[in-house]
Amino acid sequence: MFFKSKPMWGKKTKLKSSYDVVLIGGGLHSLATAYYLAKEHGITDVAIIEKNYIGYGGAGRNTAIVRANQRTQYNVPLYKEALDLWPVLTKELDYNLMFNNCGNLNLMHSEAAMNAARMNIATAQFHGVESHLIDAKEAKELVPALNISEDITFPIHGAMFHPPGGVVRHDAVVWGLAKGAAKMGVEIHQQTEATGISTKNGKVTAVVTDKGIINTKQVLISAGGYSASLIHGFLGIKLPISVLTIQAMVTQPLKPILDHVVSSGAYHCYANQTLKGEIATGAHMDQWPNYTTLNTAHYIKHQAEALSEFLPALRGVRFMRIWGGLADMTPDMAPIMDGNEQVEGFFMDCGWGYFGFKSCSAVGRHMASFMATNTCPDILKPFALKRYQEHRLMGETAALVNYTPDN
Amino acid sequence: MALTITCPICGKRNGYEFRYGGEEKGPRPDEKDLTPESWCDYVHMNKCVAGVQQEWWFHRDGCGSWFTIFRDTTTNLEKETPEAKE
Repeated sequence: MFFKSKPMWGKKTKLKSSYDVVLIGGGLHSLATAYYLAKEHGITDVAIIEKNYIGYGGAGRNTAIVRANQRTQYNVPLYKEALDLWPVLTKELDYNLMFNNCGNLNLMHSEAAMNAARMNIATAQFHGVESHLIDAKEAKELVPALNISEDITFPIHGAMFHPPGGVVRHDAVVWGLAKGAAKMGVEIHQQTEATGISTKNGKVTAVVTDKGIINTKQVLISAGGYSASLIHGFLGIKLPISVLTIQAMVTQPLKPILDHVVSSGAYHCYANQTLKGEIATGAHMDQWPNYTTLNTAHYIKHQAEALSEFLPALRGVRFMRIWGGLADMTPDMAPIMDGNEQVEGFFMDCGWGYFGFKSCSAVGRHMASFMATNTCPDILKPFALKRYQEHRLMGETAALVNYTPDN
Repeated sequence: MALTITCPICGKRNGYEFRYGGEEKGPRPDEKDLTPESWCDYVHMNKCVAGVQQEWWFHRDGCGSWFTIFRDTTTNLEKETPEAKE
């Protein structure tokens, strides 16, 4: 089967009976955390436990878009750091992550939306992130395929143009970080399912897996969309999360037509052209929690209608592949990062919704520092679970698109 | 994946006629002795079960009833009881 051969990041090792740190989930947040634990803190006795294979979940299912145009002062610096890290990681890992900062164009379809964009841009500029408001004509100059006429369902008034954003090859990040972490001694155990966490006197003592018990004092659950269910199942901790299936698809390959990431809240759709020429597009989330990761005819139709309105040159183009992934949404559209709070030695990094990919590099770095020093870095403090009890929800729901089954 | 919901009044209908109303969390906590913890727990916190859960639905584009069903979140299929498995 798949895993008989030698993995690309090194030799397969046997699961030991104890590690300094165990990371549950073989996605980008775990891989990045492991990489920085080893690189910046010298902690190499680390095991990543993955039920399927690394990059099986959100890491391999997202549409590779990166940007730092979020709404609030807490989120923007984190995403900016992540954006700045792509070229650095490409060098450090000696692995081409294919970062293409082609720029993001968020289309606005009303004057109210233009005003919301002005606020977003003000936040971005305050934090030193390049972002401008442009009108429909300027948008058309950047992306000639856009339909800026007034006879479509949602005529384009203008756009928020965020030049430093773009696309990163998501699989390359998985492979690069896995190689980089493994080289420093991190063990990656695929086909290994975590089934429980043992505690004693309020402290983590072990992680139970289907391949045996691993003694450890520190464990991180960063298993993407599966985190909330695992955290509740293992420790009885409930989270303000709803897990929704989010869909994506690509068209047949075309000649170059789109050299920016274009997104629209009103049309509920984003699109960019991959290096292979396909138009990668998506955005729809099922409006009820489910773990199916399956597509719906409802959405494929919607997607075709939306694309053929604002990018009319795509009329008649066929979808070639469709897929779904999980988005673990919180009520304030901001993630939850916490540790040593509910149980000593237990850390969590979840609630990333559909923006876990964009943030993984910076978050891995800060989570590693959190775990290595047992001190929460200032940048992560506002993301603690306690904020919901204290009614200090983040204002990220004021961003340009927002989804939750609770609204 | 497609979803159908059985409304107690209208019967089995297309899931897009309905609005999801959250996990069944028991009665609203009494205001007497209400703490930030218990209120937050009721308002925000979910179990996110990957399996059968009891949940609320509202027949938005139909008769307007609110009701609960059991559904397997891994298949989107309705179940008779919480224990029902394939």
